[in-house]
Amino acid sequence: MSAGPPLAVAAGEERPPAPRRGRKRWTLANVGFYAVVVALSAALLFPIYVIFLLAFVPDHYTIFSFVPPLIPPALTLTNLETGLALSTAPFLPSMYFSLEIAFLVGVIALAIGIPTAYGLSRLSRGIAYAVTTVMFIVNMLPSIVIAIPITVPFIKAGLYGSALGIALTQELLALPVTVFLLVGAFQGLPRDLENQARVDGAGRIRAIFGNLVPLIVPALAASFLLAWMFSWDESTFALILYSTNPTLPVTIFLTVTGRGNPLVGVAFSFVATVPVIILTVILQKYLKGEDFTVGVRG
Amino acid sequence: MADHRDEGRPPAPVAGYLRRHREQLLPVLFVLPALAYVGYFAFYPAIDAVVLSFQTPILSFTFYNYQANVNLGLYTWIANTFWLTLGALALQFGLALGIASIVNRNFRGKRIFATIAILPIGISTVVAGYAFSTIFPGSGGGYAASVLSVVGYHETIYWLQTPAKALLAVIIADSWKNTALVVIILVAGYASIPSTLYQAAAIDGAGPLRQFRYVTLPGIRGFIVIALLIRGAQEFNIFQLALEMIGQYPQLLTVQIYVLYTSGEGIYLASAVASVLLGIVSVFILVVLLLGTRQ
Repeated sequence: MSAGPPLAVAAGEERPPAPRRGRKRWTLANVGFYAVVVALSAALLFPIYVIFLLAFVPDHYTIFSFVPPLIPPALTLTNLETGLALSTAPFLPSMYFSLEIAFLVGVIALAIGIPTAYGLSRLSRGIAYAVTTVMFIVNMLPSIVIAIPITVPFIKAGLYGSALGIALTQELLALPVTVFLLVGAFQGLPRDLENQARVDGAGRIRAIFGNLVPLIVPALAASFLLAWMFSWDESTFALILYSTNPTLPVTIFLTVTGRGNPLVGVAFSFVATVPVIILTVILQKYLKGEDFTVGVRG
Repeated sequence: MADHRDEGRPPAPVAGYLRRHREQLLPVLFVLPALAYVGYFAFYPAIDAVVLSFQTPILSFTFYNYQANVNLGLYTWIANTFWLTLGALALQFGLALGIASIVNRNFRGKRIFATIAILPIGISTVVAGYAFSTIFPGSGGGYAASVLSVVGYHETIYWLQTPAKALLAVIIADSWKNTALVVIILVAGYASIPSTLYQAAAIDGAGPLRQFRYVTLPGIRGFIVIALLIRGAQEFNIFQLALEMIGQYPQLLTVQIYVLYTSGEGIYLASAVASVLLGIVSVFILVVLLLGTRQ
């Protein structure tokens, strides 16, 4: 985790630092460059700052102000407290439901992803290319197009509104990325490791789970967390397929679009988001562009 | 063992093929669960949507679902979706090329900037949607006005007044949320270009702009194609953000699918729009792949 952001790593690894024109600190070009960097950073941070304002500033300075002040005149915890009040707010039950679903999505991603990625790393180029292309296409299918026809078989199978049902649909978003990430991890292992284990008498399954899988634990953790995050954010399947208990994003959506005080939703979700933001920063290391491109570069 | 016993007579063609290719074919078994899963949960419902789009509630064949949607304004929905996609892709790729170029340089504060650039991925879409609807409220004012008044612009902009403004608001929100993914892919592309190419270009007298045009762009072409595929498809499919920020003003294909599905018009009308969207996304994928791999 200490290796630094992947953006930095990916860019820095292959290429020596760009040739510098001397060691002049404050050339005009330098100042201009930093001005662009600061302006971009401010623009990227602004919406997060707005979420913070909505969450912790009294509402007459935010949504009930025509041109709301950018510097908060006062801070409050009322929004958050209302959101956490068990008796009145649906947020905590929704959060548990979302946690359950996200956990399932992570587990299923690994359960299907590990054998698939192993298989792909051992298949001939042509077949592997075909399978990755299929996974890639799955990633691009519109959720809403899939969610509507699937309601009927889901109701029949008793999956409608259940954590497992929603998890199985959200998996469509998580599985392709999991597979791409794990294929990379398996390909990074020397082929001899598996051969050795099998010469020593281990069956293929034992060779995989006893000798290979322990070596890619970091990639497994990263895939699990990524799958978890995809699910935590997903709201299209969750909106179409919930029956009585909505997930957290759907509860927030329903709250901010008319049922109840929207700021309560924002305050609660902002606090619930903080761990995900931290997770994103940690996962940065594993979010590598190569993983998204496995599917087509073959 | 069986091989030795069978040596005398020619083995049955299928069994022989399987035996000879055992090592290559066994891994197929490992891939089957994933294929079965996506087959049932992705391709079957997608095909089902197309089937439903040609059905009446009594299961007879009809074109009515498409005709009804054309009368409701299907072509406008397609146009709106198209403009949104085009605008969002242009903004995201412009921003991403800039951010990736910055991240690709060495400077003080690079790690902080890289972290800031990736933060939006961690913000829930629903929450981002609400934040942006307070930045660009349809009723005028909002945080966009707060920022604009700082730079001396005080006129009220009603963001839901015209389709163009509403789409622009969604384009900005969506680009904020998703540019980081494009950056991640492009940075990988930058890293794949050998530094000797830049040195050679510099020796030939190429400045930064010409290096970008003749070394960087061709070098990251494949990565641009992938990012374009992923983001383009997601842009056509944009739903939650648009539903939250602009609702039906103007209408997008995805939002109309949802509205038709939930408004009692039924699954059949919704499926017709869904099939149109599916067709558009498929054509988009084919076109990008054909253009991207041609050379």
